[in-house]
Amino acid sequence: MTTTRETRPYDVADLSSLGFWESTASEREKTFADLRAHRPITWHSPAEGRLMDDPNDQGFWAVVRHADLVEVTRRHDDFISGEGIVFDSVPPELLDAAQGFIAMDPPRHTQVRRLLVSAFTPKQMKRIEDNVVANARRIVDEIAAKGQVDFVREVAMLVPMHNIFDMMGVPEEHRLALAKTSETIGSYRDLPGNDPTEVVRVLTESLIGFQVIASELVNQRRTNPTDDLITSLVQAEVDGEKLSDADIMSFFSLLMVAGNDTTRQSTAHGLQALTDFPEQRAWLMEDIDGRMTSAVEEIVRWATPIMTFRRTAARDCELGGQQITAGDKVILFYASANWDTEVFEHPGRLDLARTPNKHISFGGGGIHHCLGNQLARRQLAATFKELLTRLPDIRSTGEQVYGAGNFFHTVASMPATFTPEAVR
Amino acid sequence: MKITHDAQRCCSSGMCESFAPDIFEISDDDGALQVLDATPDESRRGAVELAIASCPTEALSLE
Ligand code: HEM
Repeated sequence: MTTTRETRPYDVADLSSLGFWESTASEREKTFADLRAHRPITWHSPAEGRLMDDPNDQGFWAVVRHADLVEVTRRHDDFISGEGIVFDSVPPELLDAAQGFIAMDPPRHTQVRRLLVSAFTPKQMKRIEDNVVANARRIVDEIAAKGQVDFVREVAMLVPMHNIFDMMGVPEEHRLALAKTSETIGSYRDLPGNDPTEVVRVLTESLIGFQVIASELVNQRRTNPTDDLITSLVQAEVDGEKLSDADIMSFFSLLMVAGNDTTRQSTAHGLQALTDFPEQRAWLMEDIDGRMTSAVEEIVRWATPIMTFRRTAARDCELGGQQITAGDKVILFYASANWDTEVFEHPGRLDLARTPNKHISFGGGGIHHCLGNQLARRQLAATFKELLTRLPDIRSTGEQVYGAGNFFHTVASMPATFTPEAVR
Repeated sequence: MKITHDAQRCCSSGMCESFAPDIFEISDDDGALQVLDATPDESRRGAVELAIASCPTEALSLE
């Protein structure tokens, strides 16, 4: 018998409460493990919101197994992105302003992605490799004499910020402000206070601040085109038409948020992992150049910087034996899939040599597969090479603070100590 | 071994290029995929098969 969205019973596992997301990754993993083993596709009550309660939201399907996550990702005709890609209910005007083409479906998604994809190919990444290494060096130069830092603010946030803004063409003076906006947009669940209207106000204000800077840059490129991504957006034509200003802003926002906050989380979780598993770190140091590639893959699995994305069923269809109804929300739980014992031996162990490493941190191999995956990998390799060779005893003090959101796996701050470079 | 590429289906995900950059390349000009070598040497079969399997829109096939 098929049930409708309104009458379908909810699973007993809690994936929806604020408390679930305020707990730790290892606490959440207990729930995921139970679901993966016994009830892989389950229907749940709507996510408890921080922004708004949507009376039309009756709940969501949870996809927790690796194989199912890959399947949903690759069935992009059944499970579409155009209805929104975040778990929370968010006022539509905020979504439209910030989501960009990750929340589009073909054919328009393909047309827009083609405008940008050549800037992110392996060939292009080789061309900018020296710059990525120089950015890592510059950031380690800044901290090398200090001996103690907030690793998030002084390293993890800055590396991706400089790299993505070099590519986009955002000048130095605007970088910190935009990286901060990006953080607010991506991690609004961590904003203080519990009043949804207040959170929406802060978010709207940040977005307006972003749009003021972004439109200034866009207008400059209209008059003085260069070879950066903002110029690409300004000059781009789809079906013979220039992109609208609203589209340009929203694509700018997507590149900014996707480019900054993901790599930041990976860098911070990476240092924590290297602190918690000293024997793995020692193994890496024995041949840092030869072992960095697999180490970066494992760090990205370990971090799972994006914990959830959403799809919406475009039509009635089946998934893992469950009958899905057109319009149902389907949530992909990336952290769960990265811990699936069907695919990973001892997923709870950091194994920097793990090969193959079929993590889905960059997505399950679909049409929205992370545009910046090569960039992220190069940045992480350059950053850890620079850090671990120049500050070989750098470690997290264990006082890190994790975020409470259900989207980015955030580290809000992470005190770290090391012997200053000059002293050694 | 001969690779066919259906440009209508292709979504320029770049997955194939990540497995075999000597054979598949996203064009700098228009972001479209170019098959640099449609009849690669037998020794590249493993990488080509991975690249083809990775395509999210099944735009690549082997004859
Ligand atoms: C470790 C770092 C990163 C992780 C874990 C990550 C993860 C992801 C994931 C899970 C997706 C969605 C995949 C899907 O729906 O199947 C995605 C899409 C995307 N990512 Fe990343 N990302 C990272 C770094 C970056 C960087 C540095 C950029 C630079 C601009 C970037 C830009 C994008 C864009 C533009 C999309 C949307 C692509 C589309 O819709 O076609 N990401 N990323």
